[in-house]
Amino acid sequence: MAGVDVGGGSGKGKRSLDSEINMIPFIDLLMVTIAFLLITAVWSHMARINADAQVPGPPRPDVEQQDIPPEKILHLQMTSPEKFTIVWKAGSQVVTSIDVPRKDDIKENHGIKTVRYGVVTCKPEDQACFNAMCGRAPESRSLAETIACEWTNSGSHRAQQDKKLDQAVLHTDNDTQYVFIIGVIDALYQTHRKAETGGKVTEVPAFNVTFAVN
Amino acid sequence: MPVHQPGRRLMHYVPLNFVHKKVTGHGGRATNAGLSLTSMIDFLIVVVVFLLMTFSASGETPPAKGVRIPSAENTLDMIDAPMVAINGQQILVDGAAAGNTRAIEDAKRLQRIDELFNILKGKREVWKQLHPNKDFPGVVVLQVDQDVPAVVVKSTFQTAAFAGYPNVSFMVNGIPKAH
Repeated sequence: MAGVDVGGGSGKGKRSLDSEINMIPFIDLLMVTIAFLLITAVWSHMARINADAQVPGPPRPDVEQQDIPPEKILHLQMTSPEKFTIVWKAGSQVVTSIDVPRKDDIKENHGIKTVRYGVVTCKPEDQACFNAMCGRAPESRSLAETIACEWTNSGSHRAQQDKKLDQAVLHTDNDTQYVFIIGVIDALYQTHRKAETGGKVTEVPAFNVTFAVN
Repeated sequence: MPVHQPGRRLMHYVPLNFVHKKVTGHGGRATNAGLSLTSMIDFLIVVVVFLLMTFSASGETPPAKGVRIPSAENTLDMIDAPMVAINGQQILVDGAAAGNTRAIEDAKRLQRIDELFNILKGKREVWKQLHPNKDFPGVVVLQVDQDVPAVVVKSTFQTAAFAGYPNVSFMVNGIPKAH
């Protein structure tokens, strides 16, 4: 069994300073801890992806209405099997429009599908990386990269102090499978920016996603 | 009953030297094997540390039976909110039946799901009665099977918004980011 030797103890008739530690309770404790942790262990981590229905608030007769110019909103159309169309609109006016080739990267693991539309490897503060990525031809960029470039060029809420997020509206046809919708929302949430909340600077998604109901 | 050292027992009571020698194994290797505790304790500690790191105190909400939830990378932590599950053609709210999607799939157009609307509206009113001085968060979590068509997802989304739940979250399997 384990022991502790603290030296000394050579004196005549003195009690030895070597003492035995009883390891049995220690091993018991470890075993009980392992059993508890194994029983309560969670191997699949559930998470959520946020969306917003954009319901207008109740009318405020006490507040004077002002003419506010409509904000630019990113509309992402995934109705075609060959391409995505990204359109920036201010109200009903189209500001810019760009087509991105659609490449569904589908992976299946034990029946669970994951659809990816590219990866944005640039950090929000790395402007040189963004310049290099956005300098490439649009056809060679993935959907996630194109969204990041579009937001860098045309996003309205980019300041660190700005608490509002840019709005993205997703247009799908009625037959699109849910897993592809999640793939596109995941690509939209890959673009991040810095935001100051309560004196702390954190990374938040650049877009708030909603659905077009047409 | 006392515990004896393990070993050979056969004929050990015979008080003759040569018999005793014969039955105890001719001075061969001891039958008691020493167990190295150091490596065992090292292993146990590593297992405990690993399990502690993967431990989640907040608990997890398992998806409804038969619902295959897709995976995504850019996710948020789960929150406590009404759970709407869409499994094939059945809709469940917190495990209780709340209509089906057959009519939507047949019509192939967006429509309100009345049963789901009434249940969510009821839940909202109960919450408001229980928390009279608080703002209603209006959050609902959708557990949708990966193969469900968009028209069903959008109809459920719209029904939840009509029932006073404009903040809709989609439950996914969180996976680590690729970069």
